[in-house]
Amino acid sequence: MDADRIRAHLDPIRHEFADPRSLVMPALKFAQTEKGHLTREDMAAVAEATGYSPSFIESVASFYDRLYTRPVGNRVVSVCVTLSCMLRGADEVWDALCEHEGVDHHHGGTSADGRITIQEAQCLGYCDKGACIQVDAEETKGPYTPEEAVKLVEELREAPTPAELWR
Amino acid sequence: MPILNSVYRHREAGRPLTELAAYREAGGYKALESVLGETDADDLQYAFVRSGLRGRGGAGFPMGRKASFLPKDSRLPKYVVCNADESEPGTFKDREIMEMNPFQLLEGLTLAGYAIGAVRGYIYIRGEYEHQARVLDAAVRAAREAGFLGKDLLRSGFDYDITVYRGAGAYICGEETALLESLEGKRGQPRLKPPFPAVAGLYGSPTLINNVETLTALPPIVTRGADWYAALGPEKSPGTKLFSISGHVVRPGNYEIVLGDTTLRELIFEHAGGLREGRRVKAVWVGGSSVPVIGEEHLDTPLDYESLQGIGTALGSGGCIVMDDSGCIVRACLRLASFYRHESCGKCSPCREGTSWFERILQRMVDGDGRMEDFELLESLFRRVSGKTLCPLADGAIAPIRSAIKLFRDDFIRVCQEGSPRPEPMLPASVG
Ligand SMILES: Cc1cc2nc3c(=O)[nH]c(=O)nc-3n(C[C@H](O)[C@H](O)[C@H](O)COP(=O)(O)O)c2cc1C
Ligand code: SF4
Ligand code: FES
Repeated sequence: MDADRIRAHLDPIRHEFADPRSLVMPALKFAQTEKGHLTREDMAAVAEATGYSPSFIESVASFYDRLYTRPVGNRVVSVCVTLSCMLRGADEVWDALCEHEGVDHHHGGTSADGRITIQEAQCLGYCDKGACIQVDAEETKGPYTPEEAVKLVEELREAPTPAELWR
Repeated sequence: MPILNSVYRHREAGRPLTELAAYREAGGYKALESVLGETDADDLQYAFVRSGLRGRGGAGFPMGRKASFLPKDSRLPKYVVCNADESEPGTFKDREIMEMNPFQLLEGLTLAGYAIGAVRGYIYIRGEYEHQARVLDAAVRAAREAGFLGKDLLRSGFDYDITVYRGAGAYICGEETALLESLEGKRGQPRLKPPFPAVAGLYGSPTLINNVETLTALPPIVTRGADWYAALGPEKSPGTKLFSISGHVVRPGNYEIVLGDTTLRELIFEHAGGLREGRRVKAVWVGGSSVPVIGEEHLDTPLDYESLQGIGTALGSGGCIVMDDSGCIVRACLRLASFYRHESCGKCSPCREGTSWFERILQRMVDGDGRMEDFELLESLFRRVSGKTLCPLADGAIAPIRSAIKLFRDDFIRVCQEGSPRPEPMLPASVG
């Protein structure tokens, strides 16, 4: 994404912060919506739009789980594996999804066709709906059985990719 | 004991109050209208003190007292920051408030701002709650249009606005100083305290930080009176509390109870519908995952700060995780250890290295490769990490494991020798 588009996104909220550095996170989150992850060029554009150095911007981006500095699939499927969801079958959901997408059962990963990334998430705040799953930054849903979870990714694979990838 | 849905208005109304008109009908913004231009900021602060309201984010610090720590004569602008990072495992109460009753949070945040003379309030919300953040965005716009936010609120001369700020996935950003770092556009790593945020918080300015549930309790405290609130429940920790209950219970969800009025047994068996047929309670993490675990013998403890402290655990965030006797305590500990290892921000080495060791040792126990020396090793690690870190995350990682080893030593020894096969989970279908 280019710096001008990022600037245009930041202009309406600039006055809300006494220090412009607070704009770095909104800028990174917005820049990511174009490709679903942040390339070095995207981060350089954020640096240009906010006035901070590219290495500072990259160090901020690398801290947060939901800022991706490497390519991920068209859709990112986060499976909560924390305690409450584990008690409700999260490991079974996780295994079924990794199996179905042919990705590593320890770390998850992206399917060969590049459509779906399966990743572990820590407690998503939907423990009452465990085992729960969040697609990109859409509303988390649950409870899922392994079969229902597989159906979810099959539907996602067919669905059109959203214009803006908020993750 | 009955559930008292009296503080959080969407519960009282029995429906979501996401439209301003609906919130107004339910008594919304009466508190702000009665206070602005009428009540002195100090008197409002004093009402918060008298209500006895304690912080609902985990530490339980008295809200009014914290507000009184902010300097009165600061030349710097003051801020209120609402902690909506809600990432403590087992906790999902703030989510309900934000998605069902966003205006009550905005009204509470505005009252807090008035009480300390702030220029702006920020809601720092975890990135995963994008849906809730959009509900809040819409509520802020509606409140602004109606004159409840912006310049010269209700012609009182008080200027105040609210910004919703999204995080991007990091549990540690719930720790208040890490939150401030993140809100300042940096990596979310905790700061050395003192100075405390009340003196030097956001942008070095005096800052009041409170949890969503804490701030949302303020409007009814104003309309019904501090004395009404203080009379609910025990003297030292009055009020109602939202408990999130999850895990092996039939009806997981949020329940608002009067503190001290309901026992853990009642929460599990009456409100949350109990366990599956033939199951018994094995372990409960009553205040989120960072508190010592307790067993069946403590089910009759009343749910309030003092009583839970009295049995060696803590009320924490009110995120109550229940495991029945089908679960394996060592596996549960391992899962929590993995959580803390993943969420350690890496700033201090005892925490960074320690959490990784806890996970490794518990993993080999679960795999049946544990050794008897591992108990001593874990204990010596706990001693070397506990109290030697910048923030309480590391102690939060230790508490559930250390307490479990003490309480369920026989299980640990058996698992060390035999390993622990993955037990059958409680699937949606088995809830019935
Ligand atoms: C590791 C860690 C995580 C925390 N996470 C949260 C959180 O998600 N939400 C929250 O309100 N407080 C959290 N806290 C507590 C905050 O530091 C702070 O005490 C609280 O926001 C103060 O608000 P209160 O007084 O209204 O509870 C956390 C603390 C620690 C050490
Ligand atoms: S205790 Fe852990 S989480 Fe807290 S500052 Fe140190 S490394 Fe970071
Ligand atoms: S443990 Fe999965 S959402 Fe909380």
